[in-house]
Amino acid sequence: MGAQVSSQQRSRSRSRPRSGSDHGEVLSVHSSDNWNTLFQNSRSSNKLMVIDFSADWCGPCKFIEPTVHDFADEFSDVDFIKIDVDELPDVAKDFDVKAMPTFVLVKKGKERERIVGVKKDDLHRMIEKHRF
Amino acid sequence: MAVSGFEGFEKRLELQFSCDQVSSIGLRELDFKSLEQVLHHVQCTVVSALANQHFDSYVLSESSLFVYPTKIIIKTCGTTQLLKSVQPFIRLAQTLHLHIVSLRYTRGSFIFPESQPHPHTSFNDEVVFLNNNIPQTLCYRKASVIPSKLSSHSWHVFSAGAGAGVEYSDDVTYTVEVCMTDLDKTLSRKFFRHPNDGKNGDSAGKQMTEVTGIGCINPNAKICDFAFDPCGYSMNGIDGDRYSTIHVTPEDGFSYASFECVGSIYDDDVPEMVKKAVKVFGPGTVSVATTGAGDDVCMRIFKGMEKIGMKGRSWSIDEFLAAGTVVFQTFTSRRNRIQ
Repeated sequence: MGAQVSSQQRSRSRSRPRSGSDHGEVLSVHSSDNWNTLFQNSRSSNKLMVIDFSADWCGPCKFIEPTVHDFADEFSDVDFIKIDVDELPDVAKDFDVKAMPTFVLVKKGKERERIVGVKKDDLHRMIEKHRF
Repeated sequence: MAVSGFEGFEKRLELQFSCDQVSSIGLRELDFKSLEQVLHHVQCTVVSALANQHFDSYVLSESSLFVYPTKIIIKTCGTTQLLKSVQPFIRLAQTLHLHIVSLRYTRGSFIFPESQPHPHTSFNDEVVFLNNNIPQTLCYRKASVIPSKLSSHSWHVFSAGAGAGVEYSDDVTYTVEVCMTDLDKTLSRKFFRHPNDGKNGDSAGKQMTEVTGIGCINPNAKICDFAFDPCGYSMNGIDGDRYSTIHVTPEDGFSYASFECVGSIYDDDVPEMVKKAVKVFGPGTVSVATTGAGDDVCMRIFKGMEKIGMKGRSWSIDEFLAAGTVVFQTFTSRRNRIQ
């Protein structure tokens, strides 16, 4: 039922500049090309990347969204990427995302940890753990 | 039995809404702030959450909330005033042009009934409150207390529906609500946090899920768990469009655990899941209430319980226009033979 929602989605966040954020923003990625570029860049950097897999129809994702923005502010040296599973289903599939929200922590192109569901304390702890 | 303590027995509310012209996401479109306000009426907050393409699930400070496109299920324990959420939910649904077509309220028997606030002071009071707070369109109403041979375990049902022409259920899925009391002391100790464990509620919850075998009840389910401080545990499992949920009050004197899940006529794993869930807790007394399940499922649940040493004490049935057939079985363990 959820997969057919894409055609009826409300407005999505506008495309952001392609460079990684350095002011505590959450970068929404809307195209495979953008994602591939970001991922390649991440492989050669030492920066932690937190990918937030979510969807417009996911209530828990809306619940944790303010917290993700707060974390992006707090951890300005970490890249926060948001991927809508309806927009980029292939990326969601590559990362085996079955439930939402799923947070995947990636460093140098490798997954270090993931958190499935709204677990604010755990997410905070994981980001701190893999940050440097 | 303690003089007073935490009330583990939950109150459960299921609201079904009309689905003509609904957007694919229906109630899931409700913004989170609005849901939070309703939860505030009921004195509970969201502690954790998880979703898939079929529904949203929330672990609350006092049990669980599930939001489907045209259905809300909310289950709360303690002294929450669950029925106060009825009108707010109906109003919220109306903002999405959804109208309520049926309501079902169920609960077991409170361990500490005198501690319950209005309107939960008695089943009569709950029925009066419901009758006064649901729209006239829900004109087919029935309230019933289904007894067992144990005075401490009865099953209370209030069902209301909008009429004979409404399709209330899909004839495929059914609900199972298991209530367990007098938990085995060694097993319930696993639901106490270790002081200075260096964990938070999320990671302690994950550990409890693994250590107790709860994770094995339905290996297909994605689990959202939480461990309360100093004790207590809650989890929601999501597996396709079916949820399962477990809540534990482990304290001696008023220990309680519940297991609830959705079954389907196409999958006969529910009796096995009930058996596994009961084994996790080793209770002295178990009640199993099924709504919309066929005789064969009920019989397999019964036989499954006997296989793990639980003696069947009662089997009662009642019929509700909107809810369907409710079967209420009770069991006691060998160590509780004299009761």
